[in-house]
Order: sequence, then structure tokens, then C-alpha cells
Amino acid sequence: MSSTDEREGVKPRRRPELALALIVLGLGVFVIAGTADVTAAASTLGLGPRFFPLLVGSAMIVIGVCYVVDVLRGGHGDPEESEDVDARAPADWRGVGVVSVIFLAFAGLLDLLGWVIAAALLFFGLAVALGARDRLRAGVVAIILGVATYLAFVKGLGVTLPAGLLSGVI
Amino acid sequence: MDSLNLLLDGFATALTPVNLLYALVGVTLGTLVGVLPGIGPAMTVALLLPITFNVPPASAFIMFAGIYYGGMYGGSTTSILLNTPGESSSMITALEGNKMARRGRAAQALATAAIGSFVAGTIATGLLVVAAPLVVEFAISFGPEDYFALAILAFTAVSSVLSRSVVRGLASLVLGLAIGLVGIDQQTGQARLTLGIPQLLDGIDVVIVAVGLFALGEALYVASRLRHAPPEIVPVGRAWMGRADWRRSWRPWLRGTALGFPFGALPGGGAEIPTFLSYAAEKRLARGTAKEEFGKGAIEGVAGPEAANNASAAGTLVPLLTLGLPTSATAAIMLAAFQQYGLQPGPQLFDHNPALVWGMVASLFIGNTMLLVLNLPLAPVWARVLRIPRPYLYAGIVLFAALGVYALNNSWVDLIVLYLLGLLGFAMRRFGLPVAPAVIGLILGPMAEIQLRRALAIGAGDVSTLVASPVAGVLLVLSALALLTPLLRKLLRKVLAR
Repeated sequence: MSSTDEREGVKPRRRPELALALIVLGLGVFVIAGTADVTAAASTLGLGPRFFPLLVGSAMIVIGVCYVVDVLRGGHGDPEESEDVDARAPADWRGVGVVSVIFLAFAGLLDLLGWVIAAALLFFGLAVALGARDRLRAGVVAIILGVATYLAFVKGLGVTLPAGLLSGVI
Repeated sequence: MDSLNLLLDGFATALTPVNLLYALVGVTLGTLVGVLPGIGPAMTVALLLPITFNVPPASAFIMFAGIYYGGMYGGSTTSILLNTPGESSSMITALEGNKMARRGRAAQALATAAIGSFVAGTIATGLLVVAAPLVVEFAISFGPEDYFALAILAFTAVSSVLSRSVVRGLASLVLGLAIGLVGIDQQTGQARLTLGIPQLLDGIDVVIVAVGLFALGEALYVASRLRHAPPEIVPVGRAWMGRADWRRSWRPWLRGTALGFPFGALPGGGAEIPTFLSYAAEKRLARGTAKEEFGKGAIEGVAGPEAANNASAAGTLVPLLTLGLPTSATAAIMLAAFQQYGLQPGPQLFDHNPALVWGMVASLFIGNTMLLVLNLPLAPVWARVLRIPRPYLYAGIVLFAALGVYALNNSWVDLIVLYLLGLLGFAMRRFGLPVAPAVIGLILGPMAEIQLRRALAIGAGDVSTLVASPVAGVLLVLSALALLTPLLRKLLRKVLAR
């Protein structure tokens, strides 16, 4: 990472990591504020339900401040390496956005469409978004996976999944 | 001798045809998913949790034992055949293993990894049988303050030892602790941090957090910076090794086992440190051809770390089963699996559910043997799995993540929570926050709270009760040391540099 830092050193330094550090800090405040209305009436002996959140929230604020200071002083974590990740490539925000939209649409439509259709659409959409070129093949694999997971998990393992539009058919 | 009898009973449980089948399914699925690039052992266990939802507990844990060891095996195949580093525990294996594969010795590298894993897994599971009853006997007298101190040690050790930046490790830990607070307080029935959303009253299920941080987080991360040229895979035939390879492998296997088991059992020990130590030891001990080959693909550099990796996997089970203390992300998810069945690992589990515990331990031996038989001839099949086109692979990971999470409560709210946690997992990867502390904080946080409140209730609010027992005192001192180690290391380096 040091080489990219040097290159960016010319421009005003952007520190996206600061956002994450501030989230930790903000969540600490939220944990304390969010449990402020929890009354401890039920417990007369020992500690009420507010004590531990107070502890966690305070720890979060302390660590959040340290984290913010560390980022401001130029500290940075190393992006995790993984088999399929090019850690030096610039972030492709369009890819993240498309994956997010597809997933959220899936979450919203699952009960209506049913598992088979929604899962097939999820798989097809993600495969294409992540760069599958042969759309016909991706579609066929998506349908097979949708049906196969439904049959295996609902009929085989007794897990409940919504049938949706296909209820009665499958 | 008592535990030997119990183990024999365990074998009686595990050797029924149905349970053998569960073990076989477990090791096969574990290896298959573990081989997939981008999926480490922790994600393997998290993704495969849903298939055990409707299985009776004893069989489910036999299957889990198989998934656990299978996932470990699968990871090493990936790191030998693919050049890029995968999960941290098998990164060291890739150092020499991939170089061996490139010199045309892939079959021998895979064989020494598989046989070494078998040898180490069997010895280390044997050590587990010996060590577990001893720890149980010691831990039976533990009070709430001791358990609280134990949780604190697990928190600090995993945050500071496993990450290069302590503040990032701790940030990950507190994020997990905060997520663990959501829901109804177990002692008073008060709702906390639920934002008025009724689905959050039961808290955020561990499966959602684990799958979100690992699976969805990984998929989003990959989407943001997908490697465009697919990595090169070394072709391989049946795994085998010759007499010279055996002669060079058996000592590293044993040394790796000796390093891996104790480190696996320690909080914050994990598999990274022993695999690295084993690699360093083999490099130093290398003579003759081995010495020349180090850095170009020496078999000792695969045999030792692989054995250490598997021995540490067995070592991790000692604190998990006897104390309910997870020392790695994978162990934390295993603990969640126990909790799903209403079981709390700890000394009582050995008393109340001996059939389940010993059946699981016995199936570790069985699963290990199955893995050896499965992995030597099937190496070419696993190599083919590595060729799955990446768009399909990650689309499939998300599909199964969604399936597992939705199946928990049949609620789309869980899917939204899953997505938000996926974003968090993505940010953590992007900025180098380790995920393990978050998962351990989430799982152990509620337990730490209960024990803390119990201890302070017994001591009528006097804080000194927390250090009243010598065990708790020692554990808390160790926690402080764990936090200070990186600081001391930095200071020492500064002094030396001057």
C-alpha cells in the first residue's frame, strides 16, 4: 500500500477509512444513548440491563477516538488479500452498487416471487454483474440452482422457503 | 481410563450407519466448500449451518466435526494449486506448496499435506481426549468471575495478537460486542437497541452476522476489485509420494503437531502463529537438498505447517468444548451451532451430554480417516472445482448465504440485516480490520455480561470480587499483557533502532 500512498501524496489526501473510524465512535454514542431509556426497575440486586451497554459504549468511544487519531496521523490498515481480489486495483463502486441493488431487490421480492424465481433472478443478476459473458448459460445455471436448492432444502431437509408464484406447481 | 470408556461409547454412537453417512456428507461438503477460493474454514462452517437445522443434535455435531476438518483440508489444496494466498492459516502452505506444484511436484505436495493432516489430526485429537477431561476437572470449580476473566482474555488476545494494528483489532471487537447487545436482556426482559423493530427483539442471529461479514462481505469486496486475469491453476493427477518424500516428511509432521496443538488451545493462538513457527523451524533445521530447496519448493515446508494447521484445529476444540471459549472465528461459529440446539459447551456439557460430546470426538477420528481416503484419489476433482468461473462462484455464495439466513426465521428483515452486515464486512476487508474479533465479541459478549452481573451480584456490587479468585486474577493480568504486547514490541524496536 505504501507505493499508492506516495502517489496520492501529491493530491490532498483522502482518507475513506476515517468514515469507518467515525462509525465506530458514533455507534459508541448510540449504544449509550440508545440504552438510556432502559429502566433498571426489575433488578434491585446487582446490575441492571444498562450497565454492560454503558461499558461497551464507553469502550467504543475510547477505541473510536484512538482509531480516528490513528487514521488522522496517517495510519492505515492493509486491504485484505484474497484469491480473487486484486488489492491494488482501484475500487469499482459501480460493481458494488449493482450487487447491492440486486440483493436488496431480491430481499424485497422474495416473499412475492417465491424462492425458485427470486433465487434464480438473484443468481443470474449477480453472475452477469460480476462479469459472466455467456448469458444463456448463466440463465440455465440460475434456473437449475433455483429449482435444485428448493427441492433439496424444502423436500429433502425440511427447511421452509416461500413457494410464491409457483405455489401449487412445485 | 474413564474417558477411554466414554470414547468407546462415542465410537459406538458414531459408527452407526446413519451417523457414518452424516460424517461422510460432512467431510465431503466441508472439503468441497473449503476448496472453493475465497471461502475459509469459518465461512464454510457458517454457510453449511443451515443444512443441520433439522438433524438430531448428535448427528448434527458428527456432521459438523466432518465439515470442520474437511474445510481445513480443502483450504490447503487451494493454496497449493493456486498461487495467491488464501485464508491466513494456509498462507504458509502456499509458500513452498505452490512452488513445489510449479516444479511438477503438485502430487507430492498434496500428498504430504493430506497425510500430514491425517497424522497431525489423529495425534491432536488423541491429545484432545486426554486434555479435555483434565481441563473439565479444573474448570468445574470456576465461578462467574473466572468465566468473565476468561472472556476478557479471549477478547484482548484475539484483538491484539491476530491483527497488525491493535486499534483495528479492538474496533472490530467492539463492533461485535455492540451487535451482541441488540435484543432482549436475558435477565430483566428489557429490550435494548432494537430501534422498535420487533424482529430484532430476539437479537441478531450469529449465523446472520457470520454469513454477512464473511460471505456477503467477501462477495461485495470481490465485486469492488475483481482480479481480471483468472489465477493460474497447476494441473495435478492422483496425490502420492515416494520413499524419499516420506523420509523427509515424517519429522516435520510430528514437529508441526507439537507446535499446532498447544497454540490452537490458547486464546488468540489460532493457526497462523504455529504454522509460521513450524515453517521457520523446518527452514532452520533443513540440511542438504532440503536446505537448497527451501524457497524453491521444499516438501518440509509443506509437511510441517500443514500438520501444525490441523493440530491447531483440534487444539481449538479443547477450550471450546470444556470451557465454552472460542479461540478462533471458526470455533465461535461452532459455539453458535451448539447454542442453536440449546447446548452450552463447558464442564456441564461433559456431564449432561457425554454421548454427544464423545460421539463428536470419535467422529473426528473417523472423519480424519475418511478425509485421507477421500483426498488422495480425489485431488484432480478438487483441482477442477478451482476452475469454477468466478462470477458463478460468488453469485452462488450469495445465493447460499441468503438461503441460510432466510431459513432461520423466514423474514426478509433478516435479509436486510444481512446486507448491512455485508457492507460492514466489506468495509472491514477494505480497511484491514480482522473479522475474527467481531465474531468472537458477538458470541462471547452476552456470556461475559451474564457472568459479570452474576459475579457482581454475588459480591453485592463490590468490584474487587472480579479479582478475588486467583484464576481470575491471573487471567486478567494475561489479558493486560496481551494488550500491551504490540506496544512493548514497538518500544523494543525503537530502542533497538536507535
